Amino acid sequence: MRESHLGQITRWANFVRSNPEWREAHNEFINALFDSHEKIIKTLLKTKHGKKKIIKLYGIKNTKGYDWLNHKKTKKMH
Amino acid sequence: MEREVKNLNILSQFCEDFCTIINKHCKYIVVSGFVAIASGRTRGTEDIDLIMERVDFNRFKTIFADLKRSGFVCMQSADVKEIYDYLTENLSVRFTRKNKPLPEMEVKFAKDELDNYQLNTKVKLELTGLGVWFSNINVNLAFKEELLKSPKDLEDAKHLRIVYSELVNEKEINEIKKMIKRLRL
Repeated sequence: MRESHLGQITRWANFVRSNPEWREAHNEFINALFDSHEKIIKTLLKTKHGKKKIIKLYGIKNTKGYDWLNHKKTKKMH
Repeated sequence: MEREVKNLNILSQFCEDFCTIINKHCKYIVVSGFVAIASGRTRGTEDIDLIMERVDFNRFKTIFADLKRSGFVCMQSADVKEIYDYLTENLSVRFTRKNKPLPEMEVKFAKDELDNYQLNTKVKLELTGLGVWFSNINVNLAFKEELLKSPKDLEDAKHLRIVYSELVNEKEINEIKKMIKRLRL
């Protein structure tokens, strides 16, 4: 493990241990990852072969299970 | 419902919604990376790993129907028998909400003595703010340090050792590491 990175992990873990406010920053971080991902998926769905790429990317075999993969025109990821 | 006032992030809410359903029907545990993430580790993941007790087909059909009714879809198949067959062959199946490809819940049946040990020593972790069952911290540390060993896993272990220092039991960790060597390596 890189020493500087290990130091950063240790500092953050100690902060989590002693400061209840860690959760707010952590929630923002996790939500931002998924918000960003959702934007990319929506953009990808609008591109040529976008649906096929998503199906391949996530190994979706049950394509009928997902309404948003079955619309002619892309959409409806809520 | 309690979770509405908890201010959970997307991943934690997904986990709690899924586990609330499973918990009505059988024993389960959330394992691996999400244990560290829910405990404050700042890294991304696309899936949460869950081990459930082995149930018979009729019981699984009830669980699957409940998941479906609650808006979860299996990525591999819509056929409950096929999904059950995956599980009994010790393969994992993945569930998502029907309107999103992520996050995923990767589900496996307990397959050996080590998984049963985890189910029997499950814990709730107050720090996470979640009401779900996790595999205990010493099991997580043993897996990450003895079996998985990637930089990401070793960093997770470092984080867990600090935030749960009062729960760390080296004797139990060593016993589990022996079990891992015997059953998984």
